[in-house]
Amino acid sequence: MTSVAINTAELGKRYGDTWGLKNSTFNIKQGELAVLVGPNGAGKTTTVRILATFLRPSQGKAEVLGMDIVKDYKKIRSRIAYLPQGYGINNNLTPLESIKWTLVARGSSLSEAKLRAKKWMELMSLEDCKNRTGWTLSGGEKRKVAVGMTLAADADVVFLDEPTTGLDVEARHIIWKIVRDIVTGGTTILLTTHDMKEGETIADTAVLMNHGQTVNQNTPQSLIKTLPYEYRVTMKKEGLNGTTHPDAIDLGDRLIIYAESDKKVRDLMASFSDLSTVLSVNRVGLEDAYLHLVGKGEMPE
Amino acid sequence: MKQLKQILGIAVLNGKWILRQPLWLVQSVIAVLGMTITLFAWGSNLALNNLVVAYLIVGSWSLGLNIVAQTIGWNRVDHVYESYVASPISLPIYFTGTIIGSMPFFSTHLTTAVVVSLLCRMDMTFIPIVLLLALIALILGAFLSLSIILRLKNPTNISAITNPLQTLTTILPPIYYPLTFIHPPLRQLAMALPTVPLMEIGRWLASLPTGLNLAFSLVSLISWIAIVTALVAKKLKWGQE
Repeated sequence: MTSVAINTAELGKRYGDTWGLKNSTFNIKQGELAVLVGPNGAGKTTTVRILATFLRPSQGKAEVLGMDIVKDYKKIRSRIAYLPQGYGINNNLTPLESIKWTLVARGSSLSEAKLRAKKWMELMSLEDCKNRTGWTLSGGEKRKVAVGMTLAADADVVFLDEPTTGLDVEARHIIWKIVRDIVTGGTTILLTTHDMKEGETIADTAVLMNHGQTVNQNTPQSLIKTLPYEYRVTMKKEGLNGTTHPDAIDLGDRLIIYAESDKKVRDLMASFSDLSTVLSVNRVGLEDAYLHLVGKGEMPE
Repeated sequence: MKQLKQILGIAVLNGKWILRQPLWLVQSVIAVLGMTITLFAWGSNLALNNLVVAYLIVGSWSLGLNIVAQTIGWNRVDHVYESYVASPISLPIYFTGTIIGSMPFFSTHLTTAVVVSLLCRMDMTFIPIVLLLALIALILGAFLSLSIILRLKNPTNISAITNPLQTLTTILPPIYYPLTFIHPPLRQLAMALPTVPLMEIGRWLASLPTGLNLAFSLVSLISWIAIVTALVAKKLKWGQE
């Protein structure tokens, strides 16, 4: 039986009079890649900072690997690794040095750290910049170094706070492949993102958050199945001929219209005077599920 | 053994910048050499004797106040601190590693102090005990800086705080000149700055003339240690904030 790696119950954090996190309740199994998704200010970072034992919660409970984050925080720290959002690598070190000396600081021997650093340079496709200091690295390369430093620790639970924000597609794919490979090996990863497509692509389980609260948790596929639609049609407004669609999302001169089935899509398109106004027809995704759940008010009180 | 390795790791991570940008060290060497030549040119042996104590105390004080505190401050700004907290690294390992990583700066002061002592044929037996006092100066300097910069709303101004603070505590007060140079009522007032009692105790340990009874210096220093430790303990937390 797979045991629970992370478990939170009504977790909250108050900053003065403001609640940064009000009610975060979810659980993640060992060896799962869980993604906390939600817009900026949803409480994702606060949740991760609490679970990484950096912040003490103002309310609720949480356990990492069965240990209480307040009582057993020292034990938890020996088994986790955390990449904070906005982490700035040391520009005076080369990527190889950054990974190697971070491992030594965590307690690895010099020889082991050197071997593992070399391996992670390869995995992160950083061999070309192994002798360059951080001053000469691009933003994407720096981020890959930071992710490599965190994952090389070989921790049981890894927290990655928006590791792919601002990265190009190739770099994102490298990170996605590596985190998927790692969870297959039994590591638990909790990753935050506001990119729903990323959540849908890599997550075993997605925790949807909004306004400091957990909206829902399930596999991305199950969350998508809760939608009463199957397709989303993105089109120019001018092709509508004055027809109104109550569930449509207004994007200025464009609209997103949802359709329950492929027949409905065909009916919809038949009603348009000019098919060139239809920009795309896609299956619905996690973003649509998120908007639906938040919009329907399925928020815990 | 594991802790020693961890300290080494932090020392390299937090101290590599000094070795990668050696002109900082060159600047430090030029400053201490210039000061030594200036005092030597004026021909005062007593000034050079005082300078040896000052290099050990001021060198370590500045290391704590400016370099160590700035490193910790920038680690917080860059969120590196958070990643260290969520790891097997403890606060004592982090703090010790950061101090050791900053040591190349102190080496310029220490080397000059030893060379001047040799050239002046000074009795060097006081150096080990003054080095212990220098360690207190280093920690007190770091704590004073941290107690201020950890309370800043805008942490990007770290060096704008620590640099003036260093100048205020090392150039203006009776550090490179004797406490006896200033008028007696002002001597007690000067004790309000932490570097003055540190220097006075250093002079006493080196058998150099002091300006006030040693008790003044001890009371002032102990008060500073108590106040600054309490202030920094409230802000320098290792997670669970």
